Amino acid sequence: MNAVIEVQHLKKIFQKETALQDVSFKIQKGEIFGFLGPSGSGKTTTIKILTAQTDKTDGDVLLFGRPAKEMKKSQNRKRFGILTDNSGLYTRLSIEENLLLYSDLYQLSKTAVKEALDFVNLYTERKKKVSQLSKGMIQRVTLARAIMHKPDLLFLDEPTSALDPVNTQHIYNGLRKLNEMGTTIFLTTHDMSEAEILCDRVAFLHKGKIRAMGSPKELKKKFGDESITVELKNGEIAVIQNGSEDASKLYEWMQSNEVSRIYTNEPTLGDIFMQITGSDLV
Amino acid sequence: MNISMTRIQAIFMKDYKEFSRNYAVSLMIFVPFVLAFFYNKTGISSISEYFLPINIGFSMVTAYVQCCLIAEEKEKNTLRNLMLSPASLGDILIGKSLFVFIMTMIVVGITIFLVGYNPANIFIIAIALMLSSVFYIALGTLCGLFAKSIMEGSIIILPVILIFPLGSYASPLSTVYPALKFMEWLPSSQLVLLAEALEGSYSATDVIIPIVTIIVWSIFAWIITAFIYKKRMVD
Repeated sequence: MNAVIEVQHLKKIFQKETALQDVSFKIQKGEIFGFLGPSGSGKTTTIKILTAQTDKTDGDVLLFGRPAKEMKKSQNRKRFGILTDNSGLYTRLSIEENLLLYSDLYQLSKTAVKEALDFVNLYTERKKKVSQLSKGMIQRVTLARAIMHKPDLLFLDEPTSALDPVNTQHIYNGLRKLNEMGTTIFLTTHDMSEAEILCDRVAFLHKGKIRAMGSPKELKKKFGDESITVELKNGEIAVIQNGSEDASKLYEWMQSNEVSRIYTNEPTLGDIFMQITGSDLV
Repeated sequence: MNISMTRIQAIFMKDYKEFSRNYAVSLMIFVPFVLAFFYNKTGISSISEYFLPINIGFSMVTAYVQCCLIAEEKEKNTLRNLMLSPASLGDILIGKSLFVFIMTMIVVGITIFLVGYNPANIFIIAIALMLSSVFYIALGTLCGLFAKSIMEGSIIILPVILIFPLGSYASPLSTVYPALKFMEWLPSSQLVLLAEALEGSYSATDVIIPIVTIIVWSIFAWIITAFIYKKRMVD
């Protein structure tokens, strides 16, 4: 498989503050990769370095096999799309006027605007001025702009942070569809459920360092235990482990119809993050 | 440099729409009209008086509007998004400047009409006015790139508004204050010198020196602007 992003020993120092330290990861073509961490952990700085908005202090950063600096070139900018927390939309223009501007900059057909508006469920609202939109709608317009040219690589910085559950689901479906069509997605979020739903692999970033990396399933297996919790009808709660002794206990409870609920003790990604870093994600 | 007419046109149209809906900035175009109208009514006796509203137009409309357009793009983070699109440095700077250039030409034309100035050689004056416009656009872009918001841009541009239109008025003072000698070489002073020369029997040098001076100012301003723009592309 081809690596779309290859980062080796990336370091970034702002004046005297170290924002990223020895960050290494590889993202293969067609992957959805989640970069998870609390605010200030270095997620946005990583995106800025990858998109040539900020220079690295040290390390190697390759996009499509070329140094990230080359992403400054006009022709290379067509290869990626980006959604950041700053919408960068023209507030006096309508949704459609904003997208038409970018469709001309990317030299796309006029149908691209309609497709992008359909993607974010905003076609009927297209004549509205951006200044009249809610935060969630602005987020959707920004996403439409990011995907309009069907980029090979999509950077999403907290893509659903301002969205309601219905639109979040709509965006998830769209992103999966985009991914199925071959777009590699680099997603930063502090929403663990979002990462679990969307990402093939995740990396936990904490204070500028990657603390763990793998698929959500792998991480849960690595950092979780195999116990299950059993709630009995008399209110008693028991944690039982794999093994014949606990199995026969469970068998007895079930035989005597004492079991009220059974659930696994699989940790969430948030639990794992906390376990590794000792701090919360928010 | 990779230049695309489609992209330039897209940025031009976007700026036109934004400008026409931004009354705080667009109302500035009336300042030279009002000044020219009242100046004409009070009676004008010299070329430098004709050129005062024209030069004020260059600084208060051309440089100020361009500065505000750029500063607003920075404030709203739209310039960064333009930079992340396939639009090249040339597309963005030409697209953004073209709108202000055309607007300046219209504003200067109306100002000349209102002030009652009848140039002796309209062709040479037109060239000088166009070159001056290019210079003031660079100056406005530069100020806009230094500003973080429109408010900051309005302050940064103040020295331009105060110093540049008054070149021909300040240069006589250079005999008393030698530090003001440089004012003779400002594009506004050169424009007046050129217009004065054209009214009499002029030599080629009388035309070439002011034109070349304005060109040198423009090139110098655009080189610095392009350098600062490239620096602003990265954090």
